[in-house]
Amino acid sequence: MNVIECSGLTKVYGSRKAVNDLSFTIAENKITGLIGRNGAGKTTLLKIIAGYYRKSAGKITVFSKNPFNNIQVAEKLIFVDDRMSFPPALALSEILSSAAAFYPHWNKRIADGLLNYFQLEPKEKHQYLSKGMASTFNMIIGLASRCPLTIYDEPTTGMDAAVRKDFYRALLKDYIEQPRTIILSSHLLNEIEDLLEDVLLLRGGSKELQLPIAELKHYAVGLSGREEAFAEFINDVDILHQKQMGNVKYIVVRNNFSESLQKRIGMSGVEMTPVATDDVCVYLTAGNKGGIDDVFHRSE
Amino acid sequence: MKLNPDGMKPIYVQIAEWLEAEILAGNIQSDEKMYSQYQLAEMFTINPATAGKGLNLLADEDILYKKRGLGMFVVSDAKERILEKRKSQVLKTMVMELVAEAERLDVSEGELLEMIKTIQKQKREESQ
Repeated sequence: MNVIECSGLTKVYGSRKAVNDLSFTIAENKITGLIGRNGAGKTTLLKIIAGYYRKSAGKITVFSKNPFNNIQVAEKLIFVDDRMSFPPALALSEILSSAAAFYPHWNKRIADGLLNYFQLEPKEKHQYLSKGMASTFNMIIGLASRCPLTIYDEPTTGMDAAVRKDFYRALLKDYIEQPRTIILSSHLLNEIEDLLEDVLLLRGGSKELQLPIAELKHYAVGLSGREEAFAEFINDVDILHQKQMGNVKYIVVRNNFSESLQKRIGMSGVEMTPVATDDVCVYLTAGNKGGIDDVFHRSE
Repeated sequence: MKLNPDGMKPIYVQIAEWLEAEILAGNIQSDEKMYSQYQLAEMFTINPATAGKGLNLLADEDILYKKRGLGMFVVSDAKERILEKRKSQVLKTMVMELVAEAERLDVSEGELLEMIKTIQKQKREESQ
């Protein structure tokens, strides 16, 4: 079953399309990573899914219903980010009891356990928490609510490295105990990639690709050598990135070489290297192929 | 073991290789139950689907077998199968790379064989 289905989804801010003709589905009980650069439309998309924003055009259903302002959808999902706002007068323990009353699957054991583990004072007010502490508290709500659809938008903002690690582990353990559909947005793919089953990559509000994380690992390959050495191999492949290092050129291309061709490349002295999934995402979403170097390029 | 996220190998392949190493080391014996995908997911903090893929890889190679409702088990000649596979695939690839690199460096066949013998000799002496 698909939890989210959207086709031709568009959101316009003034004259800019933050989400542009986006079509995809997300299946039940998978962990999907939503990856994209700043301004790629991640947060806008997630807020449309969560029912906070109204779409401008296209179709979207969440649990087979239009999510906008829909209480039946709202009780099945939670949207967690670092700007979650709570009534300033409430203490953390009171926020947790209100959440327990609203979310039907609320797990008090996990909420109390995590609050204690991360040494958050139940009597503290949310507004006095540090940035990292607030993110930690919001994450606790996200986990304990056990919503069938849990959305984390940049959940680790401000968390220190130890808390981030604990968070990912808590997320996974809780997922194993109670599988549910999870979307995690981040620009740090390398931190979350082990947790993911699928990746949805956005670029300029549109879908660049959506595929299982294992396939992303093979998606691209790096070649380095003298330019004339690999010229014959790259006639009809997409170049995603290139960089000149002295006489040697490094290029990243789509990996659709056959096994025999790979062998020939290896024998020709061109070095083939894996490309980290993180880098693949950066290259796929970059504005130009030379990256930052192009800005500083002086033509002689 | 730590997984290596920068390697060419997808995580599920690394999981399969780790399981093979466990079998070779005798930590899991023939006809014993293999770790479940959820146990593996927990051990390595990875998605259970990824762990499942690693298990299925070994099932496809007849190193594990499925018992309906009970999980995956180690076949009786798993060790031999793994060793044979590593010889015919992994070692062969490494030798191919070695030969290609030797060609690039203009190392003759004789020199290369001599280097291998020297290293084998060194290892023997060290282990004595």
